[in-house]
Amino acid sequence: MSVPGHNLDRMFNPKTAVVIGDKGPNYMWLKNNQTFQEKGGNLYSVQIDEKEIEGIEKLGFKNYTSLTDIPEPIDYAIVAVPRQISPYVLNDLIEVNAASAAFFTSGFAETGEEIGITLQKQLTEAAQNANFNIIGPNCMGLYLPKSGIRFNPDVPAADDGEVSFLSQSGTHSIMFSLVMAAQGMHLSKCASFGNAIILDISDYLEYLTEDPDTKVIGLYVEGVKDGSRFFHALKEACRRKPVVVWKGGQTEAGALATKSHTASLASPEPVWEGIMKQCGAISTSGLDETVDVMKLLLNSKSTEGRKLGLMAMTGGQSVSITDAFCKVGFEVPSLSKQSYDELETFFNIVGGSYRNPLDMAGTIQGNTETLQRILTILDDDSEIDAIVMEQSAMFGARQWRNKPEALDAMLDVLAEHKKRSQKPFFTVMHPAHEEAFVVEVRQKFAEHQIAVFPNFERAASAAALALPYCLVK
Amino acid sequence: MGFSDLVKQAQTEKRTVLTEIESKNILREVGINTTETFLALSSEEANKKASEIGYPVALKIVASGISHKSDVGGVILNLQNSEEVVHAYDSILRNIQNTHPSAKIEGVSVQKMAAAGTEVIIGMTLDQQFGPVIMFGLGGILVEILNDVSFRLAPLEEKDAIEMVDEIAARPILDGVRGQEPCNLKELYKMLLQISVFVTDHPEIKEVDLNPIIVNSKKAVAVDARIILNDDLDERQTL
Repeated sequence: MSVPGHNLDRMFNPKTAVVIGDKGPNYMWLKNNQTFQEKGGNLYSVQIDEKEIEGIEKLGFKNYTSLTDIPEPIDYAIVAVPRQISPYVLNDLIEVNAASAAFFTSGFAETGEEIGITLQKQLTEAAQNANFNIIGPNCMGLYLPKSGIRFNPDVPAADDGEVSFLSQSGTHSIMFSLVMAAQGMHLSKCASFGNAIILDISDYLEYLTEDPDTKVIGLYVEGVKDGSRFFHALKEACRRKPVVVWKGGQTEAGALATKSHTASLASPEPVWEGIMKQCGAISTSGLDETVDVMKLLLNSKSTEGRKLGLMAMTGGQSVSITDAFCKVGFEVPSLSKQSYDELETFFNIVGGSYRNPLDMAGTIQGNTETLQRILTILDDDSEIDAIVMEQSAMFGARQWRNKPEALDAMLDVLAEHKKRSQKPFFTVMHPAHEEAFVVEVRQKFAEHQIAVFPNFERAASAAALALPYCLVK
Repeated sequence: MGFSDLVKQAQTEKRTVLTEIESKNILREVGINTTETFLALSSEEANKKASEIGYPVALKIVASGISHKSDVGGVILNLQNSEEVVHAYDSILRNIQNTHPSAKIEGVSVQKMAAAGTEVIIGMTLDQQFGPVIMFGLGGILVEILNDVSFRLAPLEEKDAIEMVDEIAARPILDGVRGQEPCNLKELYKMLLQISVFVTDHPEIKEVDLNPIIVNSKKAVAVDARIILNDDLDERQTL
């Protein structure tokens, strides 16, 4: 899907792409974007160095020695030439009327060197005069999984992405994409935009606001150049879909670091927080928290309510899960009389309890019907707005390894419950001593679209931030 | 004098800080409740004003270059009669001469003491990325130390004003504790919105500080106010 008529539409939905100045032995950019070719896009190379051309052609890419020779309109160019060549490349890009170019090339104003500053100014002026879309420079450019455009060899070229991410940092954009994929979530579009001399965060944000493929927007921001425009773009985006804003440089020392990283001016933290609330954005402060929030947004129903039904496996965990959620403002109320009347008929109170939190391992004993019964009681209880369930890898992993069908049966019950219930439902499973095995188990949770968090604290903080905005209907 | 005249006058005098009396007059013009404040050039004048407006009164130094008036003995509150007013006038002048010998003293302001209530502050500062942000917090020392304040970008909507008041940690105090009546929150929302309109209409303002505002169950009144103008009057347009 696309946003017809939008200035950035060709760039975000490319049919033809070119890599300018890629180099052996790795030919990183051409190889990264082999997926673009595999998915039906036309990928070309432009390189004038004879030694490099041989390697490029050996990999099976069509090389031209001039951009103007390429027989098709170019939607997206990746520029990896030395910085002093970049103004000439830009001239050619403008001449062939390319839709956009990401300049991976660095060494501009971020170095503080006079030559870098001068070159950046030259690029900026030429692009401004020609109304040309530059991403960067000093950036990783775009990651468009559906088109197969990639900025890293390990990010998947998946078709089902719903989250789009914008980042001043290349590392954060790559790591976010990889960690999301490892948790079973895919991106729709991602832009690492570096020095942002032409296209700035608000330009991308305005496109993503309109983009029907983007269900959730994530931003990593150190500072913005046009604060007033960003404020209005963000407010409008938040009106249309959930926007998660991860702020870099929240402390005084961190703010100093942003200054040398992207020359960003930082606002004092309480001012930033106030403005995020005013826009209706979800404000996060790190990679994991941002990914956790995404997970809940994509996999849970929403509620403004604060009253939780908590299900834990043991007494100790019942206490810990309650503390974690109450610390961030949730309530764990008594259940209705009707619920207690029903629980009383089958709940094993020797070594267990059904007050809320429900300490239930001794009652369930691996019986999925009992699990379903408890879920239904909480679902029907009007005192409860959302249900959180602990799963124990410490006790469960051994059994799940020997009897994978037991895990599948439980997940089927949870998925069925989630489908039926109007209340948010998510789970917590600490990997304990089973770190490696839990990676597999987590994949299964993802396949069943059950959000699972590695500890109570992370689940609680994601819930506190995201529950009112969750997307599952 | 209207605001634009006052700005011009400050420019000719090469100053950016408006006095308490100037600031309050301007704020009153845009509908913001402030205590009426008069300049007295002698203890006799102070005495005369005090008996006109009625006791109890407060006296404050009026001098450029002194920002924390109470820290240097420049404020004396709750004066009950003529004798106390005359005495207070002389002490204030003496205190300032001792602590700030080079201060340019214009006189002493006389104002009626506000009715009892809770002290809050409303301010505006220019954020370097976003422009004018409005601040709200409870007055007093604890707030300064604990940084218990909320911010929003101007112009504010009513919902923003409500959230700003709700967000501070000390919020329960405004509901009245230990037998105090609850504060009139609508008056606070109104004042936040008035300040928002005022600073949005006047890009030549760099900072506003209403500190303290006394709020009780009936109304909110700014008892001290300070407006600072931009050095470079184009600064905010180019932000």
